[in-house]
Amino acid sequence: MPQRPLQNAPSSQSDESSCDLSVSLGRLKLPNPILVASGTFGYGREMAGYVAVGNLGGVVPKTITLSPRIGNHPWRTVETAAGLLNSIGLDNDGVVAFVEKQLPWLVACGAPVIVSIAGATTEEFVLLAKHLEGVPGIAALELNISCPNVSHGVDLGTDPLACRLVVEGVRAVSSLPLLAKLTPNVTSIATIARAAADGGADAVTLINTCLGLGVDWRRRKTLLGNGMGGLSGPAIKPIALRCVYQVRQAVTIPIIGAGGIMSVDDCMEFFVTGASAVQIGTANFAEPVISTRLLEALPAAVAQLGSSRLADIIGTLTLPGASATVPTIPSAQ
Amino acid sequence: MNSLSSISENVSVGCEKAPYQRVRVIEHEIFAHRTRRIRIECPEIASRALPGQFVMLRIPDRNDPLLARPLAVYDTHTHLERDRTSSFSFDCLDLVYLIHGKFTTALEQIKVGDELITWGPLGNGFSLPDVDHLLLVAGGIGQTALLAFAKECLGVKRFGNPFRPATLSRRTTLCWGARTGSFFGGIEDFTSSGVDVHLATLDGSTGIQGTVIDLLNAIPPSLLDRTHIACCGPEPMMAAVGAWATHHSLTCDVSLEAPMACGVGICFTCVAKVRDSTGSWDYRRTCVEGPVFRASSIDWD
Repeated sequence: MPQRPLQNAPSSQSDESSCDLSVSLGRLKLPNPILVASGTFGYGREMAGYVAVGNLGGVVPKTITLSPRIGNHPWRTVETAAGLLNSIGLDNDGVVAFVEKQLPWLVACGAPVIVSIAGATTEEFVLLAKHLEGVPGIAALELNISCPNVSHGVDLGTDPLACRLVVEGVRAVSSLPLLAKLTPNVTSIATIARAAADGGADAVTLINTCLGLGVDWRRRKTLLGNGMGGLSGPAIKPIALRCVYQVRQAVTIPIIGAGGIMSVDDCMEFFVTGASAVQIGTANFAEPVISTRLLEALPAAVAQLGSSRLADIIGTLTLPGASATVPTIPSAQ
Repeated sequence: MNSLSSISENVSVGCEKAPYQRVRVIEHEIFAHRTRRIRIECPEIASRALPGQFVMLRIPDRNDPLLARPLAVYDTHTHLERDRTSSFSFDCLDLVYLIHGKFTTALEQIKVGDELITWGPLGNGFSLPDVDHLLLVAGGIGQTALLAFAKECLGVKRFGNPFRPATLSRRTTLCWGARTGSFFGGIEDFTSSGVDVHLATLDGSTGIQGTVIDLLNAIPPSLLDRTHIACCGPEPMMAAVGAWATHHSLTCDVSLEAPMACGVGICFTCVAKVRDSTGSWDYRRTCVEGPVFRASSIDWD
């Protein structure tokens, strides 16, 4: 991987109207870094009234599985302090219905479509990737090896070997760029990220939700119908940033940051920490127009760092203990 | 295809059906015990709203409470100082809520002149029945989903843009149950529209002591010819009303009150078990396929 020293910020004056927001995630080129996260944007068409979907950097539709899944028993979400606890259970109509009924609309609207897939086993992931191989209009696959709500005792995203084998298995049958979406519910996310990179992932998405629990003590029952759930929203942003920070120092493949992003400031924190792009998740529920709003406000924020290229500010965080100069980071090219 | 090339040029962002807007609070008043009515200025939404639809309401610029909440369209209004050139039939939307959690506790602190975020109108709303008698059944705060429907069916007000054609009912009755009489708010909104109101409370403080089922059982069978029921309230109550309707061979629509995170169909939170004609069930999103369902199609668990 070529090493490239970054320019010292701030440089000469920059014009926000000509800001270059394009993103390279290995082979995957995106027009801008504002993506929407799986499970928080439906299949895209639900949002057509609120968002110029075709202008997004990428759309990750709701995770699909081989067979239809009915999903978990309500309640499926409950709001917590500045957060949302969910256990939807990958409610979806399966890969066949997705390709027939949902994908064509998404492809037609023009944004890069990153299809999120989940299987209970490596074999299921491989079958899904085979089914999607050659289907027109798919820009990449995101391997959801981190959903906390569908584990069958085997959690592919918490074991480095299992993670590497899933990515390797899909890599062997798919020509598409592969993103591995990782869970923060591990001792060392850097170890899991290395395993994903070793398996051939083009990038990692950090993070899926944090395992949590909501309790109604008066009824002595869990708030969610399925018991535990995944925590998302502003409450988990520091955890997500920490994961990006750790993984940035462990692997050279690009990172897509996700977790609690509600503002342009949040986006910039992820970029500077080392994310080449971000996914907007729970914020889509609270503010359906947010992805468009952030996209429009981003050039001005990049310009504040004296830069006219988003790529120039990625990973420019000064590490504690390092000298005050901007650190050298692996190229995201 | 997406026709929105530059959203920032528009004051209201969103599709024609459901604008996303920052709106001003025009009135905010005590309506009943722990119950408030809030009036927001939103001509695009108010003019499109149909009885039984809802809007999402959020307090801006804070992360706690984080999410918007769904609130039923209670009524629509027009300013007195109305601009006669306005193409909108209504300027304001009335919402009524019970203070019972983090969001509504925070909402109660919002002052006249403050701003809120809203998007809507959302959901399917009530279909207009071709009957002689519209029988409304409310439990607790459930009347909020029914007033506009009563007004429409009685020909007092028309809704939608353009106005949807209404088949008028000759009679409209409201059977309304609550824990205690202090929770009844807006009874005169119904009576002044021509609704025949019957009340029940669990403690007997207002109306008969009992439930809405006791009120329904007191209706002479001769008055139930060509009758359709529209119902909103707690789930066990709606299940009981649905069963009562089946027993009396009456059609019954219920407006479900499921917890929602987004209101637009992307989060898959608000699912209800709905049966199709073959009897098999699937989880349906209350926000986009409801909130109004035929009571006989719901699996009440």
